[in-house]
Amino acid sequence: MPAGTTIFDAARVNGIPIPTLCHQQNENPVGVCRVCVVDVGQRVYAASCIRQCEPGMTVKTSTDPVQAARNTLVELLMSDHPSPCARQQQSGDCELERLAAAGEITEPRFPHRTTPRGKDDSSAVIAVDHEACILCDRCIRGCDDIRDNWVLARRGKGYQAGIAFDNNLPMSESSCVSCGECMVSCPTGALTNKRVVGTQLGEGDVLNPAELLHLPIFQNVSGTFLELNQKAVVKRHFKAGEIVCREGEFGSTAFYILEGQAEVFLSSPIAHVKTEGSSKGFFSKLQSLLAPREGDRRSEESDRPFIPIDASVDLPYDNPIAELNPGDMFGEMTCMSYYPRSATVRARTDCVMLEMLRNVLDILQRNKTFRAQLERNYRARALDSHLRSVPVFASLTQDFIDHLRDRVELLRFNPGQVICRQGDPADSFYLVRIGFVKVSEQRPGGELVLAYLARGGYFGEIALLSGIPRSATCTALDHVEVVRIAGEDFQLMLDRFPDVRQKLEAIARERIEENQRHTVQAQNVPVDQFLAQGLMEAQSLLVLDLEKCTRCDQCVHACADAHDGVSRLVREGLRFDKYLVATSCRQCRDPLCMVGCPVGSIRRRNTLEVIIEDWCIGCGLCATNCPYGNINLHPFPAELDDPAHPGHKIAGVRVKATSCDLCHDHAEPSCVYACPHDAAHRVNPPEFFAGLLAQPAPSKTRS
Amino acid sequence: MLIDHTHRKWLVASAVALTIATAVYIPYALRAPQGPRGGSALGLTYGIAGFLFMLFAGLLGLRKKFPVWRVGRAQSWMRGHLWLGLLSFPLILFHGGFHFGGPLTRLSMWMFVFVWISGILGAALQHFMPRFQTAQLPMETIYEQIDRVRGQLAEEASQLVDETCSALEGEVSHASERQRAMSASAGTQGGLTVASGLQANEQVSTQLRQFLDAEMRPYLQRPGSHAMTLGQGAQAQKLFQQFRVLLPPELHSNLDDLENICEEKRQLDKQSRLHKILHGWLLVHIPLSYALLLLGAVHAVVALKF
Repeated sequence: MPAGTTIFDAARVNGIPIPTLCHQQNENPVGVCRVCVVDVGQRVYAASCIRQCEPGMTVKTSTDPVQAARNTLVELLMSDHPSPCARQQQSGDCELERLAAAGEITEPRFPHRTTPRGKDDSSAVIAVDHEACILCDRCIRGCDDIRDNWVLARRGKGYQAGIAFDNNLPMSESSCVSCGECMVSCPTGALTNKRVVGTQLGEGDVLNPAELLHLPIFQNVSGTFLELNQKAVVKRHFKAGEIVCREGEFGSTAFYILEGQAEVFLSSPIAHVKTEGSSKGFFSKLQSLLAPREGDRRSEESDRPFIPIDASVDLPYDNPIAELNPGDMFGEMTCMSYYPRSATVRARTDCVMLEMLRNVLDILQRNKTFRAQLERNYRARALDSHLRSVPVFASLTQDFIDHLRDRVELLRFNPGQVICRQGDPADSFYLVRIGFVKVSEQRPGGELVLAYLARGGYFGEIALLSGIPRSATCTALDHVEVVRIAGEDFQLMLDRFPDVRQKLEAIARERIEENQRHTVQAQNVPVDQFLAQGLMEAQSLLVLDLEKCTRCDQCVHACADAHDGVSRLVREGLRFDKYLVATSCRQCRDPLCMVGCPVGSIRRRNTLEVIIEDWCIGCGLCATNCPYGNINLHPFPAELDDPAHPGHKIAGVRVKATSCDLCHDHAEPSCVYACPHDAAHRVNPPEFFAGLLAQPAPSKTRS
Repeated sequence: MLIDHTHRKWLVASAVALTIATAVYIPYALRAPQGPRGGSALGLTYGIAGFLFMLFAGLLGLRKKFPVWRVGRAQSWMRGHLWLGLLSFPLILFHGGFHFGGPLTRLSMWMFVFVWISGILGAALQHFMPRFQTAQLPMETIYEQIDRVRGQLAEEASQLVDETCSALEGEVSHASERQRAMSASAGTQGGLTVASGLQANEQVSTQLRQFLDAEMRPYLQRPGSHAMTLGQGAQAQKLFQQFRVLLPPELHSNLDDLENICEEKRQLDKQSRLHKILHGWLLVHIPLSYALLLLGAVHAVVALKF
């Protein structure tokens, strides 16, 4: 044997098997598991993976005492191992469990570890189970020595010792590039491939890893990962005119255009639901109809010239159609956060597209080459429309946008990750590109949600305008991508465009005042039950005085009558004292209904009243999200594309989301007006319940 | 509908109107040579006023049919219905001089008596019952949904029993040989039955399933069924207490849920009964009212023409 050869290697060359856990051929040996111990005739057994052969050395690799020592080591490792671990369950090849089975170790004699080490499920592609980790360091050597990524390291001591990503961050928040080396190095189920289950790709050509690596967007993606996820991406061919995906449909995949052109558009009527009728005459019947913005301008109607969608482009409000070209990606929000499709995509020419599952998209988004391409596309094509889609920035000149073009930064955040924290110094302004951002303020009594921002929303202007630290914490609610404009560019913009400064200052003032109102109200209402029922969050409640209500349902009939037979209230709900809080839009301060709207068409006015914009596509996610069941889907006749005859239209039905509009054409909501018993009232909860809240004992409630 | 201080204006106005009508009627009745008659000028005035009030009261039904019509708040219509309807009866009595007249008018008057009394009864019910219902039925639901909720309760109960029995049977199937042996030897110790064994678990599981099939499911599925054991709160409580003794403490929450399901069913039955009482009087009041209006109109035409 050449000098320096380890006993392990020498045995391997001679066909003598020595079991091991912490060692594999492509990594430097460290000798931490000691499973490869052999008898070299000395006082203690030596770890064969690190002990070098010596001239005249006699090595016994499988005597009974050596086997017994190995079995004891395996038994000790098994005592802390969740058997069967994820790997054993998936593929039956957990190396530790195989060794245990070979040594006939079924139930370890030693007690299990009592302090849990936890799991990290944050990554979309790799599941981390710290419980199954045997501290062999194979993943660390794979990450650092083989891939040169230096993300993985050891953390903690004693029973809490384990592997850590960066400074012990959740894997998804770390600088991990999801190359998969750690996963393939791991001998147990501590790092396993997360298969995306319950999702389906369309029919297409399954590409093998070599073919994928040949494509520019997969350059530098780990072949190991692609090997493990072979069916998670398919190449699909669409004929001109063929529909790729439809707005409102729930999906779980993203598309990347390789060849051809596609058009993205909204087929839902661009109009909001309007109720009209009886305000003009005593007996004229109320009816709901669809009214476009120009025909029925509502207070604080949005002036957005573009409709945000889940693609690299926004759609012009006046003619919601745009073109997608090779290199464009769409459906990222649907894929990562399972939101409904925000628009319909139709092939304009014959197209070739890649359709991928979220694990592939996640790995692409972490890939530097792909990120660079995405940013290039965004800067070149989408920055203009994105900035101009925000009314405040509508007046920016082209030269300034060009100035920003190379200076803005696209940042990506995972669900729960903090984008900026209250109290931090302000150095940037952010525009939301993908996903939803929660803006909240930490108060002595807890967190107070101030707003949810969707694509086109922005934050960070208050601190930059006033030179104070951040006034609120902004957190990614789902997979968020923001455009960061540095503080100095923001200042330059304010200096060059006084009207932008003016508008931003006015909005900042409104936001500050609104936040203060929130805070005052939150402090004034300390009653637990009141808060627990979400009544504090409501601005306007339909309450029924149960001591007056004869359960005649006139309120429900009136509501249905006022809205084409679709009632927007149900005489059922929580009770607070003698009042029934009916199921009808509460105009919540924490409007969960807005989270997830794929086209950002549900928002609040400054009065906090919920308004559904014209471009609602009727996907129903807001109705699902509303915790009080207060949003309905209202059907309307519409002309739809005939799937059998492209280019032709057929009569069909489209739905639009509606919530209680307080019958704002009238002095009083119909439900209240029609109650013969003076039992129904629309009230502001803190004011209405002030008397009850002042009582020392909590009121009787039911859920 | 609560007849409270907010009705004061209507009460005062009705009382004033009645006082004036009575003040005018007494001298008129005393001075009229042939007694008060419906055909006299004053009698006709009373008749017209009374009929108009009745008509207004009757229009409430139409108002309710079109709840979005902006023709005054339904609450005002209801108050008008109540007080003017109440006032119409003495006015009609003044109109006829407290005589019920011929067959048509007698029939009308008796009908009016029924309508008036049923109306007062209804007002009283609507005054008291909602408060009673609110206090008695914390788990109240929409009346039309009661059948559906009953079905859901039955399903929920089945799931809970399944879950509880599976937990008990699971313990049996997971028991080691030693536990099985110990269980087999469990019996009576010092006069007390040892219920901690696996045998006991199997028995309780069987009993619980029998209880579901024989008692609980039929009770939950049938409307009413007050006569059944579970229909009586106290008896149901006893029954569940017996199971509570037999079941291990960690499964008591399931029993609590089952007991709550029965309580909810009792409340649904009660709601059903109360709802019928609260709205049942309308079955008399409404048809008689429309018949009365028709007869009143016929009477007016006949009296004026002939």
